[in-house]
Amino acid sequence: MSLLEEIRPRIQAMDAMPSVPAIVQPLAGLLQQEPDQVDLEKIVELISYDSTIAAQCLRMANSPLFGRRNSETVRSAVLALGIKRVEAILLGCCLNRIVPREKWALDPLTFWRHSLGCALVSSRMARLIGYPDAEKAYLAGLLHDLGILVNTVACTDEFRRAMQNAQERRMRLTESEQECLGFNHCQSGGMLAQQWKFSSDVTAVIEFHHDAAKATSARPLVALVHLSDLLCRLRDLGYGYYEAMGIELTGEDAWSMLVESYPSLEKMDLARLTMDIDGAMDEITAVVDGVFKPEAGAT
Amino acid sequence: MELATAKAAIKPDTQDLNDPAYLRIRDLIYQISGIYHPEEKLYLLASRCARRMTAVKASAPAEYLEHLTARGNREAELRLLLNEITIGETYMFRSPQQIEALRNVILPQILQAKSALGFKRLHLWSAGCSTGEEPYTLAMFLLEEKERLLSGWTFDILATDLNDNSLTAAKTGIYGEYALRSTSDLMRRKYFKACDSSRLQAGEALKSLIRFDRVNLNDDSKMTFLKGMDVIFCCNVLIYFDLASKRKVMQHFYANLLPGGYLFLGHAESLYQVDDRFHLVHFPGAIGYWKPPVGYVAGGRR
Repeated sequence: MSLLEEIRPRIQAMDAMPSVPAIVQPLAGLLQQEPDQVDLEKIVELISYDSTIAAQCLRMANSPLFGRRNSETVRSAVLALGIKRVEAILLGCCLNRIVPREKWALDPLTFWRHSLGCALVSSRMARLIGYPDAEKAYLAGLLHDLGILVNTVACTDEFRRAMQNAQERRMRLTESEQECLGFNHCQSGGMLAQQWKFSSDVTAVIEFHHDAAKATSARPLVALVHLSDLLCRLRDLGYGYYEAMGIELTGEDAWSMLVESYPSLEKMDLARLTMDIDGAMDEITAVVDGVFKPEAGAT
Repeated sequence: MELATAKAAIKPDTQDLNDPAYLRIRDLIYQISGIYHPEEKLYLLASRCARRMTAVKASAPAEYLEHLTARGNREAELRLLLNEITIGETYMFRSPQQIEALRNVILPQILQAKSALGFKRLHLWSAGCSTGEEPYTLAMFLLEEKERLLSGWTFDILATDLNDNSLTAAKTGIYGEYALRSTSDLMRRKYFKACDSSRLQAGEALKSLIRFDRVNLNDDSKMTFLKGMDVIFCCNVLIYFDLASKRKVMQHFYANLLPGGYLFLGHAESLYQVDDRFHLVHFPGAIGYWKPPVGYVAGGRR
């Protein structure tokens, strides 16, 4: 039996974890809805279940990235951030709790910095090329590495070895996972995404963001997140170690996939986009530290 | 590093930064020189403009924009502003990510390809080496890899500049704390000797690797002969060239490089719309321009 089959029951058991049902299940329902149909009061109520999450939303709404709006209530924070972004924060926060501290194979702050970085770059790129749903791109970027959480919880020791191996050899995490686990975080993440009934396009991103050409649905979104993920890993928003890679983005399958739907991409000034990401990095780091590092909240 | 310098510089208040004239100056600088300031770094540009605004007695960014676009001396003013923008850019190990890309990705790739053909020689070129910080950095890097990556290889560095004073300083190789601020004690002890109480001089091991020469990048007759390069560094030089000259220099660089070779520019410089033969390659924290080998098909890099 392969390791992936072996951990399947452990992935199924992730439903029964104490912090999950309270927020993830109602959230999964909310995530399916169109933005204009989402019930604002329902969201505010969900947030108020949990004072830590409420504090995190306020902190993020008041961070420089969102224009330092001085939100004082959960309601005004939600309005300042936008409903889709709040859902993303909520999900990020409670996913964070699924993983007990001692199980992390990589620094949780590094992981969330990468996830939020990828979310912001995905939505930025979506706007640049005219992809119609920048919020969806944001959410997909935030969740693309769900499988890393799955691996951390469901096969802690093996995944820690894969991470160490990748760090030592400065190789890609997916390749190291393949060596050490026989599968990578796309497959395990895909399983949990289906189980949690994430929308089919976000599930496709989680499952195919490292092998965009294999995606059979939501291909532009998968390709967009693939490229954003790469850009983040190339700009110090990766997994916290040096990945020895030189990437010609325009030579990636994902690039050709995206150009098919958005020809304007071909004229994109990639060096400039990269420097924009560099410029936004300090702020991304500040937001992640503000949201996920409780002790930084006071400052 | 850049932030530290920036904070020391005059930081205009945020109200000032919202002046749309700054965005127009930013775009003008990008269009003309290729140096880009993302919005979060606009305050850096504003502080550089502030010094020039004082000098020309411009009271608002919009008025200064006029100096850069409409006045008779706009070209001279633009040059002075570019000088301000790149001031303090020259010190050893200024771009560690470029060095890491060399160590981890580029050299392994180039060495493998050259070994297969029976070559064991490596040529780097620092084009526009100014007072020598870049070629000495490269020399330290190469010597550090002598027993590892470069075991069994010979290597040298060509360092060229147009300015005779800069070249003389580069050849002498005497540096103060500013130039050495990112150079570790170990590197200082290994490759430099004491010159006076506050300065160090590059040792023979470094100097013997570097050939200094006066080269005008616009001089076709000279550029044509500088063949066989593996990696070219040309940081903050092309920003002073007009588009036609930039294109010509890029054509030369392309011809000067061996297939599979790389060109690096300054960390905020871009070649967008200057040359479409080079392939843009992203490394962690750095961007390089690649001359693909003959018969290369897109996507086959890895």
